[in-house]
Amino acid sequence: MKNERKFDARPKVIGTHKFVDDYHYDGMIYGALIYSKVHHGKIRKITYPNDFKLSEFTIVKLEDIPGKILIPEPETDQPFFADKEVFFYGQIILAVAHPNKNILNNFVKKIKIEYEELSAITDIKETLDNKENTFGKQIIIDHRRNVKVEKNWLKTHSVYYTPHQEQAYLETQAMIAKYDEQNEEMFILGTMQCPFFVKEAVETILGDKIKSVQVETSEGIGGGFGGKEDFPNLLAGITALLSFKSKLPVKIVLDRSDDITITTKRHPARIEVETYTDPQTNKIRKMNVDYRLDAGFYQTLSPVVLSRGVLHASGGYNIEDVYIHGRLIRSNTPPNGAFRGFGAPQAFFAIESHIEKIASELKIESYQFRKINIFRKGDEFPSTQKISEDNLFDCFESIVEKSDYLTKYEKYKKFNQTHKDKLGIGLAIGYHGGGYTGNGEKVLDSEIKIKIDKKAIVTIYISNVDMGQGAHTTLAQLFSETIDHPFELTNVHIPNTKICPNSGPTVASRTIYIVGNMVSDLARKIKKDFGFDNLKNFVKQNKQIFPKEFSAKYKPDPNISFDENTYQGTGYKDYSWAACAVELYYHADTYQIELLNCWSMLDIGHVVNPKIAVGQAEGGVLQALAYGSSEFFYKKGFGRMHGFTDYTLPTTMDIPKLFIDFIHTDNEIAKGLGEVPMDYPAPAVRNAFFNATGIFIDEIPLIPETIFHAMKKEKKL
Amino acid sequence: MKISFTLNNKKVSIDTEPTKRLLDVLREDFKMMEVKESCGEGECGACTVLLDDKPVTSCLLNIIHVEGKKVFTSEGLSKKFLGKLLIDCFDETNAVQCGFCFPGFLVTSYHYLKTDGEANLEKIKVALSGNICRCTGYQKIFESVMLACLRNDSTGGKS
Amino acid sequence: MKFYKPDNLNELLGYINNLENKFYLLAGGTDINVQIKNGFINDEEIIYINHLDELRNIEDSERELKLGTLVTFAEILNSDLISNNFPFLQESLKNFASPLLQNMATIGGNIANGSPTADVLPLLLVLEAKLELVSSNSSRVVEIKDYFTGYKKTLLKSDEIIKNIILSKDKYHLFTKKLYKKVGARNALTIAKAAIACLIKTNNQVIEDFVIAAGSLNEFARRLYRVENYLIGKKFSELDYTEIETLLRKEITPISDIRSDKEYRFQVFYNLLENFLTV
Ligand SMILES: Cc1cc2nc3c(=O)[nH]c(=O)nc-3n(C[C@H](O)[C@H](O)[C@H](O)COP(=O)(O)OP(=O)(O)OC[C@H]3O[C@@H](n4cnc5c(N)ncnc54)[C@H](O)[C@@H]3O)c2cc1C
Ligand code: FES
Ligand code: FES
Repeated sequence: MKNERKFDARPKVIGTHKFVDDYHYDGMIYGALIYSKVHHGKIRKITYPNDFKLSEFTIVKLEDIPGKILIPEPETDQPFFADKEVFFYGQIILAVAHPNKNILNNFVKKIKIEYEELSAITDIKETLDNKENTFGKQIIIDHRRNVKVEKNWLKTHSVYYTPHQEQAYLETQAMIAKYDEQNEEMFILGTMQCPFFVKEAVETILGDKIKSVQVETSEGIGGGFGGKEDFPNLLAGITALLSFKSKLPVKIVLDRSDDITITTKRHPARIEVETYTDPQTNKIRKMNVDYRLDAGFYQTLSPVVLSRGVLHASGGYNIEDVYIHGRLIRSNTPPNGAFRGFGAPQAFFAIESHIEKIASELKIESYQFRKINIFRKGDEFPSTQKISEDNLFDCFESIVEKSDYLTKYEKYKKFNQTHKDKLGIGLAIGYHGGGYTGNGEKVLDSEIKIKIDKKAIVTIYISNVDMGQGAHTTLAQLFSETIDHPFELTNVHIPNTKICPNSGPTVASRTIYIVGNMVSDLARKIKKDFGFDNLKNFVKQNKQIFPKEFSAKYKPDPNISFDENTYQGTGYKDYSWAACAVELYYHADTYQIELLNCWSMLDIGHVVNPKIAVGQAEGGVLQALAYGSSEFFYKKGFGRMHGFTDYTLPTTMDIPKLFIDFIHTDNEIAKGLGEVPMDYPAPAVRNAFFNATGIFIDEIPLIPETIFHAMKKEKKL
Repeated sequence: MKISFTLNNKKVSIDTEPTKRLLDVLREDFKMMEVKESCGEGECGACTVLLDDKPVTSCLLNIIHVEGKKVFTSEGLSKKFLGKLLIDCFDETNAVQCGFCFPGFLVTSYHYLKTDGEANLEKIKVALSGNICRCTGYQKIFESVMLACLRNDSTGGKS
Repeated sequence: MKFYKPDNLNELLGYINNLENKFYLLAGGTDINVQIKNGFINDEEIIYINHLDELRNIEDSERELKLGTLVTFAEILNSDLISNNFPFLQESLKNFASPLLQNMATIGGNIANGSPTADVLPLLLVLEAKLELVSSNSSRVVEIKDYFTGYKKTLLKSDEIIKNIILSKDKYHLFTKKLYKKVGARNALTIAKAAIACLIKTNNQVIEDFVIAAGSLNEFARRLYRVENYLIGKKFSELDYTEIETLLRKEITPISDIRSDKEYRFQVFYNLLENFLTV
């Protein structure tokens, strides 16, 4: 537990750390994407403006693809370009490149595409309410245990809705492709989370026209949050195609409004929860969950988001009889993708709201109710995986204490009786399975490489990126701490598919949890094999051995298994646990909520670098609070957001005090941290509002318009 | 049109379209890649520079506006006492995540330190309210600026 | 894009007098540059005016404060003349855009851009400001309440510009209570979903004078005379809020758009007014 400084902090603050748009290559030209401006339609005609020299432009479309037209994905169904029909607003139809940015922009503005418009489903609720639109594989977790519903049991039923959320990484999607005609090689430089996915995408689109593809990330990656998990595949494929055709280096940097319009977002969800609770014991005995995600038009990543979603859908509660049904629903909107949490924030919003509802129907305080039902050691998930620790319970108890929840709850109840404005405090719990779901890590088969040179400088070679989460600093620190080697002598190589082994994508909170622990293991192994005490001295005395490379592969735990068909078994080997309390002030005149405080208690196991970890959690928590209170991309009546003017991110003036704490840090293992802070705060906001006003809102965000209409409905106005 | 101005203490001039954005002139003509574009419409502050000692968003400024004025970018400020102090503080707190927003925050915080400098959280929040950060949740940015204010105070505001 | 930079005000006025096509004055540029980016301004001529220092003065006289059109929001927020004479104006504009934008955006640009959401308009309306409009051969003063005639339509002729914003000191100090509130999606960098400005003068529970203006709730920001007329002369105890609500419905016609919905906008405005009158 040391606060090593980030190796890239200073150049980032000064601004010399390079992001994609800061790179330049000789002869480079600029590319732009032309996409559908209708939700569904047949393309009738494409007209290029005639006041330009068409020959100066490189234009690529579906028919220019020499390789395969479908982007490789968990579900390979999305083509790089639309063909004769477009299925969503934002679907790419063609791409153009030109040496001059201004000419390119003017040309692009003047390209006319005529459509015959066809009917489309674009409203979230309309999409999700209609089971007919289901597509792709459905998932069922059947943990029914023939529990007989007694007459006096309380049945509680509700449908919960969550919106899109935009990752809003500050660096927009950007890619450079450089084709080397002589050697038939394609070099890609980009802002991305998964270099090897990008490599595969470029190989796919170019087929046997090229001999090799090399993908490297830019020095800096200006945020990802999941948004740079799969969209870069599409963008790199198209940029590569432009470079292949023009034989020149091509750079595409998306404008913010294009980025927000066409890239992936968090899936909107409709989650229906039905529970039966025994009022004698206040135990939930039976639960049915219908978990639906709006996938957009293509499945792409959605099946894996769905699988994580259903595995988190019953929340942190021990329920004997559970049935979970997950499905994807199709709409005429861009495919949704990865965003920090990956299906779990939707699940926890539903379940943590529902718990509040049951408690209020039972007329007991929700803290007590949670305490009765919360996971304890020995309980089991609907997948039958056993709960091996009491850490969720510990997070929960400590947050109740830290936030002084019980006192405040009573105090605010009194305050609210005599005031129009209200005060509220709300709780929520959550957890996040680390790494790929089920057998995913086994299939990924990650590999790492470590090189030690003659001066004892250690370089770690991996394909995981540092997009701000501090992964490279933390990985270097892990190595250095494990065998007590100076941190200053430990580096991480910039991810490059030719130089670094494939240690898997930078997703699923797996970089430290999986790759980091591989680094620690390998460090230990190196030390043991050579039998040294001090690496530096050892290198000095044994110069002839160095430089030397070491590598290791992921070793799956042979004792665990997961059945991909029944979803029974170990969904995730380790879970990060968390609980939080949110305190807010409700302004009766404007229907606005003002977040005052948010306390989080997390169990992420070993905390490698406390300051980095706290920073990660703070960032995640704020994104989650905004998910609960302000952010949405589409809403009926409001329409779709075009850029940062409409999609309002929290500013310095909109945030509560954030308190972050870690518990059970004496664990040997560093568990996942990236996503768990996103999972639970949104329902805590909702619950705080419920405690403040007694109004039960079944959707987020709690924007004042939503609150106003909910109040009107409940005739509290 | 020929436009002359001072850029990070150096006199420069350029012949260009008078409505070209300052952001583009800095990035394309002067290769000052520290000035970032994220939204292009004044909403994020990634492109913040100092214009005659005041922080402004360079994506909304046309180069004509800069004629005869002084421009400082984050890189220029990083060589000044307060710039260095701030960089140390951002570094020490591990505040920096993806870093895309930070050149903008450096410029705005620099201005705050220079013109007010009180270690007052509410004031700092107001001063930084034109700069968006999506990664950090802002807490560590506040912490860093507070720290810089306190340290600057203890050096007797040696700026 | 055609571009022109006059040497002084006279030259500017002469130049636009002879222009036939639509043009834009480039003041702070915070609206114009967004419009260029979004393709709303294409080939129209851009005339730079930000260097014309004769448009940047704050002039104080016994009964008036004159703000040049180029006075920026930062200057308004920092001006001693304004804090001495119209602290309410200063206090109210603190949440204008962001500190970065405040350094560029001009008061004249805020008015001239003509958006019904402009922060400064409800304030100028209740302060009964006047605008000095000049052309190469004329100069006239119009009341801000008459300036807008429709959505983005104004009295400004094609050869005129806004030169000064004139605030009268005569009545300001008589008001006993003042309210300005912009309701937006967040606390900085926010465009008003609804905005209210009102000033009241009371004496012994009687409303002697009352002015109110609404932003973002009509095709242009405007005074709500029916509400004013109803309230003036009444005792607080005799106010009929159903009547006020009915009058409001005639006066404000909010729409639903990307920022909010009309029912919400109406209700919030009503609540703010009711609170102002009752608390
Ligand atoms: C990120 C962002 C946030 C914003 N937030 C707010 C906010 O909170 N509240 C708010 O009210 N506005 C806001 N705005 C809008 C804008 O900043 C203001 O309207 C500003 O006051 C415009 O002034 P300017 O000097 O920049 O105008 P410019 O862009 O230079 O000009 C705007 C228009 O006014 C005309 N014009 C300018 N001066 C004159 C003159 N003297 N005579 C006649 N016509 C003239 C121009 O022809 C042009 O049409 C925001 C804008 C952005 C980009
Ligand atoms: S890029 Fe200029 S403010 Fe966002
Ligand atoms: S550090 Fe990434 S946006 Fe601020």
